[in-house]
Amino acid sequence: MLTRRDFVAQIAAAAAGVTALSAAPGAAAFAKVVESVPARRGAVVSFHMDRPYVDPTGTAMPYYPPSGTRSAAAAAELSEEAFRRMQCYA
Amino acid sequence: MVDFSNHPEMKGFFAPTRFEADVYDCEVIGKIPSDLNGAFVRLGGDWLYPPKFEDDSPFSMDGYINLFRFKNGIVDYKGRWVKTPRFKADFAARKQLFGKYRNPFTDDPSVHNLDRSVQNTTPLCFAGKLFTLKEDSLPYEIDPKTLETIGPYDFHGKYKSLTFTAHPKVDPVTGEMICYGYEATGLESRDVFLYTIDKTGHVKREVRFQVPYVAMVHDIGLTQKHVIIPIFGFVSSMERLKEGKVHWGWDNTKPSCVAIVPRDGEAKDIRWFKGPSRATVHTLNARTEGEKVILEAAIYDGNPFPFFPPIDGSPWDPTKARAYIRRNTFNLASKDDGFTEEKLFEMNVSDLGRVDDRYLSLPYRYAFTAFADKQRPFAEWKAGNMGGRVNNCYGRFDLSTGKMSSYFAGDTHSLQEVCFVPRKNGAEGDGYVIGVASNYAEMRSELIIADAQHLEDGDVARVILPFRATAQVHGRWMDEDELPFA
Repeated sequence: MLTRRDFVAQIAAAAAGVTALSAAPGAAAFAKVVESVPARRGAVVSFHMDRPYVDPTGTAMPYYPPSGTRSAAAAAELSEEAFRRMQCYA
Repeated sequence: MVDFSNHPEMKGFFAPTRFEADVYDCEVIGKIPSDLNGAFVRLGGDWLYPPKFEDDSPFSMDGYINLFRFKNGIVDYKGRWVKTPRFKADFAARKQLFGKYRNPFTDDPSVHNLDRSVQNTTPLCFAGKLFTLKEDSLPYEIDPKTLETIGPYDFHGKYKSLTFTAHPKVDPVTGEMICYGYEATGLESRDVFLYTIDKTGHVKREVRFQVPYVAMVHDIGLTQKHVIIPIFGFVSSMERLKEGKVHWGWDNTKPSCVAIVPRDGEAKDIRWFKGPSRATVHTLNARTEGEKVILEAAIYDGNPFPFFPPIDGSPWDPTKARAYIRRNTFNLASKDDGFTEEKLFEMNVSDLGRVDDRYLSLPYRYAFTAFADKQRPFAEWKAGNMGGRVNNCYGRFDLSTGKMSSYFAGDTHSLQEVCFVPRKNGAEGDGYVIGVASNYAEMRSELIIADAQHLEDGDVARVILPFRATAQVHGRWMDEDELPFA
């Protein structure tokens, strides 16, 4: 399983690799790719499985688990009346 | 084409399942007790096709019977649709032909006069046969080996009511079944036929009488001397059916009316009592003590079902849809028609409670039912936000001490109706609490088995289904020697 610490370490290694590549042949083409990546934004509130957290990179995508898990989420938006209309003995 | 997309309440765990299933040698966590031999039979509903009307009742769902067969520590599972004429007609047409709950005026003309019952309420084992019950029709006989539908049953032609309750009572002393049909002579009739059927399945007694107004008569209480028949604010009329409404509406002005019928008496011997507006949908147990007839049940403050809306057009009130274990006492020596009501436990519980059936109609101590313990955790990040709408515990309620012990199903689970299985030759309450839990994190159903005397210790075994079982209305344990199971 990827831990937060391992993830940060791998990002740092990747950044070092990018720096080295920029000095290598073909660096101009690679630089274009790098330019197309969105610039870092300010910290935003994002969500991981419906739980809010502060994402300091501003780039994180919300994570939603695959269908089949969290299967009661379908009931979250239903009023008490709508829920009991179909699930009176659930 | 089948399309449930217009039904936001039928998503995720609550989507229809629509398949028949056999699971040979189910996965088990823990160890199945060696003295559990027989079957846990469940009956409930599922939509083969979407309802014709969005405001229809879930009680219109097609019947689905399923059983967990226990034998020598192994469990097999089988689930089958109850194949009534209505089911067969929809199946052949590949669409829903039937309209609103118990309202034939909303049906497709092609099914006019067809038996429109869906058998989705209670399984019954009696006189060596297996039945499904739905209160708007006769029982349906089911083959206990295959769960295939045999057809309607009228007890050798002697049961004359057109309808049969979903809650007959079997007297543990005599083996007799006390049962009834309401709207017994047809839609909107006030007629009730009350029967005693001997243990071989032959009608022994019939008493015919009328209720004060056409109302739901869903369950009764049985003592060794009396039958207690509560009716309450679910009302109906031919006018409302012709207007295209569901069968029942809620009339908050109607008092609770309770008939006390002597078991050896006639219609003229019935005594009617009146009380505050309540909904006694299901009962726990009853007894006669001298001149007093006592009924205990988880009784709602008001209308529990939003799909049977108030007839005065007011909004459904969820704060009245709470059930509490109460005791109603009817004094046959009194001159007035009132009765007393006590709340035995202050906590809100599921009204689908059970007792040790060996003590039905007799003095007893324990009641079992599900409830929501808000102090227990619920892992929304794994299971989804249910907004607190989970029955996460089964409770054993000691009516003699007022104490309660509980079983907790887990932080991603909600429990359906509880069932108590007595240990052979054990004392009252000695046995197992069983019931199906919905596991919202794993999208599957699990049958839990716990020692009824040690609920706090958790379950002794869980039978894992690799899918969602259909929602249960009622389930019953049937012993190995009661039916010729496969």
